[in-house]
Amino acid sequence: MAEKIDAEKHASNRRDELLVEQFRRGDKSAFERIVEQYSADVAALANRLLGWPGDVEDVTQDIFLAVFLGLKKFRCDCSLKSWLFTITINKCRSYRQKWKLRQLQDIPILLNGMGMRLPHTNTGVSPMNAEEFNRVRLAVAVLPTKYREPVVLRYLQELGTDEISRILGVSKNTLNVRLSRAKKRLKEDLAELIEQ
Amino acid sequence: MTEDKIKNLLQQADKAARGANPVRVDISVIHRRASRKYMINLVAPLATAAVLMVALGVLTVMFRTAEPKPEQGKITMLENRIKQLQVRTNASLSLIQEVLEEERRRSRLNELEAQLASIPDPIEEMQKQVDKTAFILVYQADRLYRELNQTDLAIENYKRVIELFPANRWAQVARQRLSEIENEKSNKTNSKGDTQWKTQNASWS
Repeated sequence: MAEKIDAEKHASNRRDELLVEQFRRGDKSAFERIVEQYSADVAALANRLLGWPGDVEDVTQDIFLAVFLGLKKFRCDCSLKSWLFTITINKCRSYRQKWKLRQLQDIPILLNGMGMRLPHTNTGVSPMNAEEFNRVRLAVAVLPTKYREPVVLRYLQELGTDEISRILGVSKNTLNVRLSRAKKRLKEDLAELIEQ
Repeated sequence: MTEDKIKNLLQQADKAARGANPVRVDISVIHRRASRKYMINLVAPLATAAVLMVALGVLTVMFRTAEPKPEQGKITMLENRIKQLQVRTNASLSLIQEVLEEERRRSRLNELEAQLASIPDPIEEMQKQVDKTAFILVYQADRLYRELNQTDLAIENYKRVIELFPANRWAQVARQRLSEIENEKSNKTNSKGDTQWKTQNASWS
């Protein structure tokens, strides 16, 4: 099973390298294929990192603009997905920073300003009501960036420790410490929901 | 256990927040924005350089053609006046120097003239010496004749004075003495050698 996953990963990396090479040679359709392949993942990560604002089309557009401008410099020393996620994280950081400056860093205003609304499509297996959703969202939103990013990558993107530490540019120990502290905070903030 | 619950809660929230419509990335917009960015990166420095060049050119032209301000005119006028005054001062100074030089020359000339005036006249001096010599000769001849009774030597001296200084007043005195000696001799020896004395006397005079 693990061998099969590794083989798939290897094949995927080869495909990505080929796409990048084609892009470098001036094949515009290569970029379109990259967008097709990764836009959903990138958008989902941006949505999660920004605290589920719902509409992340502008951010995603900005991310892929950065990808388009920097793709020729991509050296393929990591997977294209990791590189895209790194760009996404950086863009979301600057996006939040700008947004925070505009909203005077007030959490309630922040949450309202970020377009907090009730989930319009509740298709989940275990349905979550608006109050619970807002509590979870608030708990994640108040986490410092250095804790929120590992939580999102680990529990929502379900990436491995190696990949997360590579994307965030921190050591595994640091990552584990941050995850542990983030869990502790979430446990405190979401105690009632966890006990249910 | 807690980790799983947290994970479960987060995933539920994520599912609940997921939008119905997938995000659509407009590639044409990306191309357009990328080309705009590329143009900005390429054109902005060129445009800045062009604007700077134009500004520099305008400033240069402005500085070249700018009329002198009233203050500048005043300053120029004052500078001209200062130059004129300097010229006048220089002329006055040179005049004063010339006058002083002339005065110095005059005083030097006066000094030299005074020095020249203090120098005795050599002709006069010679005349004095001649006079003195003639006097001494006459005086000695007188002494020879009157005190020492050496009439011949005295006559010889008188004759020498007449010979050497014929125009001198002591030559006249010498002639008088000779005539006196002659008279005296003639008185003493009326007969003796009277003719001879007269002849000699005539030759002296």
